[in-house]
Amino acid sequence: MVVKIKRQKNRDSKAYWQYFEYSGDVNTTVAAVLDFLNYSDDLYDIDGNYAPRIRWECSCLQKVCGACAMVINGKPSLACNTFLDKMKGKELVLEPLSKFPVVADLITDRSIIDNNLRQVQLYIGERDENDGGLYELQYTAAKCLKCGLCLEICPNYIKGDNFFGALFANDTFLTHSLSKNRKKELKREYTKHFSSGCSKALSCESICPTGISTLSSIFSMEHSKRK
Amino acid sequence: MMKKLIIVGSGIAGLTCAVECAAQGGSVVLVSPYVSERSQSVMAAGGINAALDTKGENDSILCHIEDTMRGGAYIADRKAVEGMCTAAPEIIKWLESLGTVFTRDEKGNIDLRAFGGQTHRRTAYAGASTGKQIVTALVRKVREYECRGLISRRLGMQFHSALINDGKCYGALFYNEKEYKTEALYADAVIMAVGGQNGLFGKTTGSLLCDGYAAGKLFYQGANLKNLEFIQYHPTTIETPQKRMLISEAARGEGGRLYYLNGDKRVYFMEEKYGERGNLMSRDIVSKCIYDAPSQVFLDISFLGKEKIKHKLNEVSDICDRYAGIDVLRESIPVYPSVHFFMGGLSVDRNHRTNIKHLYAVGECASMYHGANRLGGNSLLAAIYSGKSAALSAVNEPYEDRKPNFGTYISENERKISKTLSAESKFPAIYIKQELANIMNENLGITRTGDKIKKGIENIDYFLSISDRLNFDSSISPYQCYSLEGMIMLAKAVLMCAGERKETRGAHIRDDYPESRKELECSTVISYDEGNYKISFKEEV
Repeated sequence: MVVKIKRQKNRDSKAYWQYFEYSGDVNTTVAAVLDFLNYSDDLYDIDGNYAPRIRWECSCLQKVCGACAMVINGKPSLACNTFLDKMKGKELVLEPLSKFPVVADLITDRSIIDNNLRQVQLYIGERDENDGGLYELQYTAAKCLKCGLCLEICPNYIKGDNFFGALFANDTFLTHSLSKNRKKELKREYTKHFSSGCSKALSCESICPTGISTLSSIFSMEHSKRK
Repeated sequence: MMKKLIIVGSGIAGLTCAVECAAQGGSVVLVSPYVSERSQSVMAAGGINAALDTKGENDSILCHIEDTMRGGAYIADRKAVEGMCTAAPEIIKWLESLGTVFTRDEKGNIDLRAFGGQTHRRTAYAGASTGKQIVTALVRKVREYECRGLISRRLGMQFHSALINDGKCYGALFYNEKEYKTEALYADAVIMAVGGQNGLFGKTTGSLLCDGYAAGKLFYQGANLKNLEFIQYHPTTIETPQKRMLISEAARGEGGRLYYLNGDKRVYFMEEKYGERGNLMSRDIVSKCIYDAPSQVFLDISFLGKEKIKHKLNEVSDICDRYAGIDVLRESIPVYPSVHFFMGGLSVDRNHRTNIKHLYAVGECASMYHGANRLGGNSLLAAIYSGKSAALSAVNEPYEDRKPNFGTYISENERKISKTLSAESKFPAIYIKQELANIMNENLGITRTGDKIKKGIENIDYFLSISDRLNFDSSISPYQCYSLEGMIMLAKAVLMCAGERKETRGAHIRDDYPESRKELECSTVISYDEGNYKISFKEEV
């Protein structure tokens, strides 16, 4: 199998494509392919030229940490959760997420996610003891990996300057539902940075590796608005 | 004057410590290479222990203390364990107040499940992602303090070394991955919350980011390490194309049964040997029994039913389905023990102070509560309790104004790193790390012998002798290169401690010394001084 990887040495250097031959097992994940290439004694591209090791971010290898988010064959995905045998075509194309600055190769700087949540002061304050029967939704929303796949696929999210995307909506729903004394501020930020910019394409729903339903978060927030 | 604290690592122990330091009026810089969502803490599935006694089983703090001491083969510091178990119910309330979404029972109480080595149902949980749920809540609390200016977070920072002079710590040196340069940070105290030593064994059930480097480097810089030979093999892990993955103890806590096949007949060996609760013996015992079983051991949860599995063990069925193609409703799970947790680490006192003044350690990188074997559900508890204990001490301790000049030390290390970056070598550091993992797995398995340990030390010594002369492939992060030596030193210390403890206790099983020895009912402490590794045994008083 041919693996085509978009390479970039550092933030300031130019990106280029490099091709590799993968001869290992196909009953495996993209993460394992990257390990296979990197763990070889020497790494050469398909033409036999020396290639620097492929930089990518990885922690848990079981889709609970979100580190390995990248674009795989055009689709934002987690490398540890994408299986070769389930992919169409004979070429594997790996690119860094396009909406975040590249640090090196497939590693991007996603600190804008944290910065935005801090900017809107997304915290509970006093805890509301009555969770309003929202346990299931809260539990799922709290599993958000902050991987950025929902932002990568969203047609409305550009660079996170004003529209903060699905992960923000889900975290705001969670925080809002748990807060007793900050609901008003949180709703205001939600309107400003999400509901006014979301076109309800809902591509975020199917892409989420933990299955968070942004639509349910939206419904809860809109419903609470009317109260 | 406001105390300034640096916390290195932002998993549950680091986050808790940051929150508590800020609550105590300290000013915190929380430093880590990645956001907390990438930390190993999010992988903790099972739960957190606290004697809440909501099941009418007459559980008590005393029972929790006794179970923890017995589980740890009586070498943990009893007073420290008493402190942790006593604080546990309050810790659960605190986590709830931060918005952790615990699973509740039909009466509306926080639900408790049975876990290994415990006499009562005592493990509170949040579905099958307790660690992740706690991380989410703590990140939010940290954010509140960030907004109030009491905590600032620094991401993209890899630990390099502590700034130590005359036995006192004044800050730490980091490699800034985003700016491609070293950066020194100064503070009144430095608190290490860097996790366990997984990297010594390659891919384990935990995070690849926990590599043990920081403990190894601090050891080199004069910090003592403790109980390194006690390495927990989790009994139930499955093989996947990427690594061995953990099947949470919750699967057995909810009723899952272990068996092997003798012909067509299932042999429920744990139940036969230990009775009704056999599947929930402590992890050291279950792992050894699986290791000794005559054929492949399976874990059966199919009979628990679709509803129970969906609500309480969803992540278990998801891992099996996704990564191993096993439908847990129809098939049993083939399991085998694998490296999971490190009871040993930086040696600390009850306030989590190391022997270097103003240097603390919390969470899995510190050794304190688990003795020779940890109980499931006690790691999240220890992470939080240790974070709180260290914060209380660090914020309230007096500090001197004098700051020595570390200019020469810093520029020397900057030079070394830029040399790494400009190296033309194609030799991958990752290759030696893999060799290291092979040596450790080969010579320090579930059971050990003096001969194998000796062989392991010889092999490690070879790599240690060449490590400072090698130039590595500079296309990877400099951290991957400079972390190597600290990891090798730590590996040697682990093997030496394992060799020195000539008995079987908890997770340290010696084929050549199969019995426990009363005179070794104490901790192993190892120190490093100018090339010499010195081991002593110390009773906790």
